[in-house]
Amino acid sequence: MSVNAPPITATDSLSQALKANIIPNQEYLLQGSVLDSAVEVLLHRLRGLCDNVDAGPETFDDQEVCFSLRDPNQQAAPLMLRVRKALDARDMPFQLRYIGQPDLGDKNRPTVVRSSLDIACSGMLIEFLNELGCRIEFEYSVKGYMFRKGRMKITVAKVFKISQSSMPPEPISQSYLVELSVLAPQGQDAIGEDMRAFADQLRPLVQLDKIDYKRLGHMSPA
Amino acid sequence: MQREEKQLEATLHAILNRVNDLKTAIQALITKLETEYETINWPTFLDNYAILSGHLTGLSKILQAELAPSLRSVVVLPLQLGCERDEELARLTEGRVPACTHDLVPDLLRTKPEPQAEQRLQQLNHKANTLSYDAAQKQVAQFTKVVSHVWEIISKGREDWEGESMRSAGMQPTHSIADTHALVTAVGTGKGLRPGMPPMVPQGVPPGMGPARGPTPQMGPAQPTMPKAPSAIKTNIKAANQIHPYQR
Repeated sequence: MSVNAPPITATDSLSQALKANIIPNQEYLLQGSVLDSAVEVLLHRLRGLCDNVDAGPETFDDQEVCFSLRDPNQQAAPLMLRVRKALDARDMPFQLRYIGQPDLGDKNRPTVVRSSLDIACSGMLIEFLNELGCRIEFEYSVKGYMFRKGRMKITVAKVFKISQSSMPPEPISQSYLVELSVLAPQGQDAIGEDMRAFADQLRPLVQLDKIDYKRLGHMSPA
Repeated sequence: MQREEKQLEATLHAILNRVNDLKTAIQALITKLETEYETINWPTFLDNYAILSGHLTGLSKILQAELAPSLRSVVVLPLQLGCERDEELARLTEGRVPACTHDLVPDLLRTKPEPQAEQRLQQLNHKANTLSYDAAQKQVAQFTKVVSHVWEIISKGREDWEGESMRSAGMQPTHSIADTHALVTAVGTGKGLRPGMPPMVPQGVPPGMGPARGPTPQMGPAQPTMPKAPSAIKTNIKAANQIHPYQR
């Protein structure tokens, strides 16, 4: 027991930051796709619209593994954690990410909003998650292009099934996944309008929309 | 006293400058209209009105400012009316006002709107005040209807036009909703990404990832997992795997 004031811990500063609402823990998201045949046109248009295009579009090649952590006593939905690793930049850290339930809101809300927390980790992460009792649900690799426009991030990427040993990776579909997203602190809904406006500039090439994959899963069971 | 006079002079000077600016702008407008009316680019011509309104705002700002309070206490007193041509006055006004006559002075020194205009305004105000709420609503609704009808016509025309231009450009569909849904569900829920995964180490997976992956995916989805699986159990499951490698 000490009479001195307790030192400020990481938890304290975190809760303080939470209280001040400065943590960008909300992801505003619009999704769409573009057929392989039209992706060049889309890239061309994005090159005209976005900020980071002086030296050609930025490429990325990531592998993502999705882990789940189930609570054996409860029937609640398992906690999903995603680990991402850049295959084209081995010295970059792993990214551990939690994504919350997508909230579509009503018709007037321009984008999907979901909570999102991510943090950079070392390569020990996979073992650590395994020790925690997480298990791998699925994995895939994404390869494509990344654009920036102000606070908005636009990715155009092909999603691949991780293939067996020596086979080339197998694409999920004949289209590229297009995502437009912004990470922002809670309550900055104005950004949604900006995103809508930007999405409209990509039409009719790509139709970026609020998509609820949960509902889609029920509609077309495989 | 002298200071006040100086201030007044400065204010007058500023106002005069503004009025001169306004005058030049109007002159330019008229000249343009008279000499270039055949070749004029009307949108740019309309910009001239913006310039005019800018000058007017500047002028009224000066007049409203506290800078000019003394102007209110200054009286203009017409001393003499006459029908004879006054060369000095004509020069000052660039030939527009040759003489200080009785038909010009009321307009020049006016501080209120013309009686006719005032009457008209009153009539309109009266009419607006006596209009019943229902009637006003009705008129508004009617107007909205007309506007929305016009809007409909225009947007339909636009749609037709856009569709036509698209067809003429030979546009093929550039996206497929089914593909969008497939991709989003795959990334979101792993649909189509959960094969009966035998242990394998794809390229680029760091050591530690591969072996650790082995036991986990084969467990039934509803089967609760211990938060912390001891290594002995791990080996057991591995053994079972070899018998039912594709259990899903």
